[in-house]
Amino acid sequence: MVFPLSMHIGKPAKPVVKRNDLVLAGQVIAEADGFISANVISSCSGKVKAVEKRRTISGALLDCIVIENDGLFTEVEGIGQERDVSKLTNAEIVQAVKDAGIVGLGGAGFPTNVKLMPKNPDAIRFVIANGAECEPYLTCNDRLMQENASEILDGLEIMLRLFPNAEGVVGIEKNKPEAIRTMQKAAEGRERIRILPLKTKYPQGGEHNLIQVVTGADYPVTMLPADVGCIVSNVGTIYAVNRAVRFSEPLFKHVMTLTGEAVAEPCNLIVRDGTIVREILEANGGLKEGVELKKVLAGGPMMGFALGSLDVPVVKTTNGLTMLSEDGFENAGKQQTACLRCGRCTSVCPTGLLPELMAEAAELKDYERYEKKLYGLECVQCGSCSFICPARRPLTETFKRVKAEIMAAKRAKQAGGAK
Amino acid sequence: MNEKLHISSGPHVRSGWTTQKIMFTVVLALLPATVVGVIVNGWKALFVILASVAAAVLSEALFDLVTKRPPTWKDGSAVVTGLMLALTLSADTPAHIAAIGAVFAIIVVKCAFGGLGKNFINPALAARCFLLISFPGSMTKFLVDGVSAPTPIAELAAGKAVNITSMFLGTSNGIIGSSIICLLIGGLFLWALDIIKGQIWISVLVGFILFLGIFGGQGFDPKFLAAHLCGGGVVLGAFFMATDYCTSPVSRLGHTIYGGMIGIMGALFRVFGTAADSFSYSIIIANLFVPLIDHFIISKPYAFRKHAEKVRNGETKKPLSKRIPRPVVVLTATALIAGLALSGVYMLTKDRIEAEKAAKEMEAYRTVVPGAETFEKLAAVEEFKGEVYGTSFGRVYINEAVAGKDDAGNTVGYAVSVTSSEGYDGDLTLSIGIGMDGAITSISFTELHETPGKGMLAGEPLFMDQFKGRNVTSFKLLKDGGSTKENEIDGVSGATITSKAAVNAVNAALDFYHKSIAGGGR
Repeated sequence: MVFPLSMHIGKPAKPVVKRNDLVLAGQVIAEADGFISANVISSCSGKVKAVEKRRTISGALLDCIVIENDGLFTEVEGIGQERDVSKLTNAEIVQAVKDAGIVGLGGAGFPTNVKLMPKNPDAIRFVIANGAECEPYLTCNDRLMQENASEILDGLEIMLRLFPNAEGVVGIEKNKPEAIRTMQKAAEGRERIRILPLKTKYPQGGEHNLIQVVTGADYPVTMLPADVGCIVSNVGTIYAVNRAVRFSEPLFKHVMTLTGEAVAEPCNLIVRDGTIVREILEANGGLKEGVELKKVLAGGPMMGFALGSLDVPVVKTTNGLTMLSEDGFENAGKQQTACLRCGRCTSVCPTGLLPELMAEAAELKDYERYEKKLYGLECVQCGSCSFICPARRPLTETFKRVKAEIMAAKRAKQAGGAK
Repeated sequence: MNEKLHISSGPHVRSGWTTQKIMFTVVLALLPATVVGVIVNGWKALFVILASVAAAVLSEALFDLVTKRPPTWKDGSAVVTGLMLALTLSADTPAHIAAIGAVFAIIVVKCAFGGLGKNFINPALAARCFLLISFPGSMTKFLVDGVSAPTPIAELAAGKAVNITSMFLGTSNGIIGSSIICLLIGGLFLWALDIIKGQIWISVLVGFILFLGIFGGQGFDPKFLAAHLCGGGVVLGAFFMATDYCTSPVSRLGHTIYGGMIGIMGALFRVFGTAADSFSYSIIIANLFVPLIDHFIISKPYAFRKHAEKVRNGETKKPLSKRIPRPVVVLTATALIAGLALSGVYMLTKDRIEAEKAAKEMEAYRTVVPGAETFEKLAAVEEFKGEVYGTSFGRVYINEAVAGKDDAGNTVGYAVSVTSSEGYDGDLTLSIGIGMDGAITSISFTELHETPGKGMLAGEPLFMDQFKGRNVTSFKLLKDGGSTKENEIDGVSGATITSKAAVNAVNAALDFYHKSIAGGGR
């Protein structure tokens, strides 16, 4: 089992174990280092083999703690014992979340305890549980809501305690009628919570879009949800909060979707962090017969990250593994034509940008126009424009690159100014 | 297990629509109109279509070959251009002219400016206008049973009643793609598939109807509006030409402004200018404004629009501009301003125009009745005023008849002013001078706006001087020339409609002279 020290956004955690140490499942093996950082928890019992650089999902070589699994999964004592949440103080709740190493499971991996401590908790009007899937193909949220409805709502109620003026809203896309029904039933009698069925579309699970639906307000990407009085958390995260606060169970396993045309048996799994992708695939029926595996994605087909190898560990934020036998990107290269100016990209952009003009500005290297006039940095990189483009232009790909270039230039300028 | 995994940034899947698929869907949408065009016009229409499409595709393939660019002819856009061009042509266009047009559309308008997505005006329409200027004779020839006949839109411009049902079905005289019902089916099909933008075609039609209704002089009379909507390529233009991707703006507001411009200009040309072909020009002119529209109308991301900020600040009441969609406001305002400005100018200049018209008339009288100093109006005209004169001269009106007197007050000759509404492009008015012996002294046009180089030649001496000195009761038009007899007139070649209208007008004047002046006992 391989545990990267950086499963989250922010500073990598500091290892607190060394080679040949014996660890238990649920034990903290690396501690949060700094404000925006998170604990890393072992998901198995066994012996620490090494603390070394290993290939991770992003393809980068990162510091990881490698543990030889003894196969017993002996857990740290006290896990699973229910405690009376009503007796906990707000500070104790946040501390419990922090200790459990909980980060946003929607994909970004932002430490949840930090999210739960906005500058002005009274100004928070909505705590939104994101039950819309991040992407097509993924169904882990759906599954979790069907099976653990009341536990998710318990978690949401715990979070609501921190925000006295907030209403709890669970957003669920309408293509999950079963989840909506179960959640609605579980929400009966919970005064501060309402279930909000959402239109099924991509990217509905994006923080921006969800807040837009709930509050009616759009906001620029430079503003945080808290600035518009919202806290958004994935249902998986909220479930983890409940497990952590009520049952003292740290986050070391989570629900994940294994899917894609190349997979023999698409399914939702509870996966322990640190498990190697290849093992997950092989333990669940492997690939379909006669199918060529072309692409493996951590996440879904739109924003998912393409893996270079199957021998990398899943982490807290891995909400899905999508295995494709057709590579849309490769096909796009073959079908590419000049831009037709058909305007499909404009009509699908969830942010209201003009991708057509942005691509033109990017091609001309007119970054001034790109940023100031076309608001190019507002792009959320959802991939919709590239998906829809009949001319198969690499739009999202270009915007990612341009954003990186502009940000790099800004940092360089700042660094230069500081000298 | 294959371990050679592909790595790329997302998205990793793509929609089913490709450039080629879109282009062939457009072809499919044009198919009903094409089929009806061929059925109504016969095989000659099919030749025009095939020539145009083949020339378009071949020239694009050849251009890519010569310029060593990757072959683009397969993407289907050349087929669309060729087909659209053919649909805007008369079935009597010689196939080689259609082919020349298609080559012009592809090579000059499209490829020379960078190919697909880079041309600044609609290639098919540009080619149509190019052909109109280069081959006016062939381009404006609409034959019915082998005889040149006016199209409904020409008749409409002349104020005549038209058969709206046959225009709607596409069975009337006109371009190949004139079946409104088929074009509507195709257009709405594309709209349903989200291939063309509703903002464009709707604002084209709304702008057109609004302007025509307010300033067309007949109010929102459904018959009048329907006739105008069904004629002159409005539907073909609104659904298939105006919605051309690369010659229309990027933003939604831009679409509305652009569409409104086309509709309003199209109606404006109908009301104040000449009718035929004007819709093509209004689209091309609007095409030229697209870069300007795109420069100024750049929509902000949702979060930066005023409305979003207000909602963030807790204001819940929707602003007025949100309740009435902004495009509607813009469109109505533009139509009103343009119309009011024009009618204002028209009012201001109306008196002067009238005065100038009278002066022109007087001058014409002086030309056609030599030696006359003063003119005395003859009352005999009154009973014919405002009504079609006779039965055998077409839509001809006697405006005025005068007796020319010399210094001594002796009558030296007569002049009759006649208007025929059967010109190719609207009315033509001429004064006919008749001597005391009944022979024509000369004729002079006071109103003539026909096709340059064709119908306009009727105003040249070559045609007009034929009438001089002839003393007959009526003239006969030989449209192919070769006149030998006193009562035969050679028509202007390529302008049969104009020549016929002129000869009819002269005949009406002669008839009036013999019946009401010479024989009428006055």
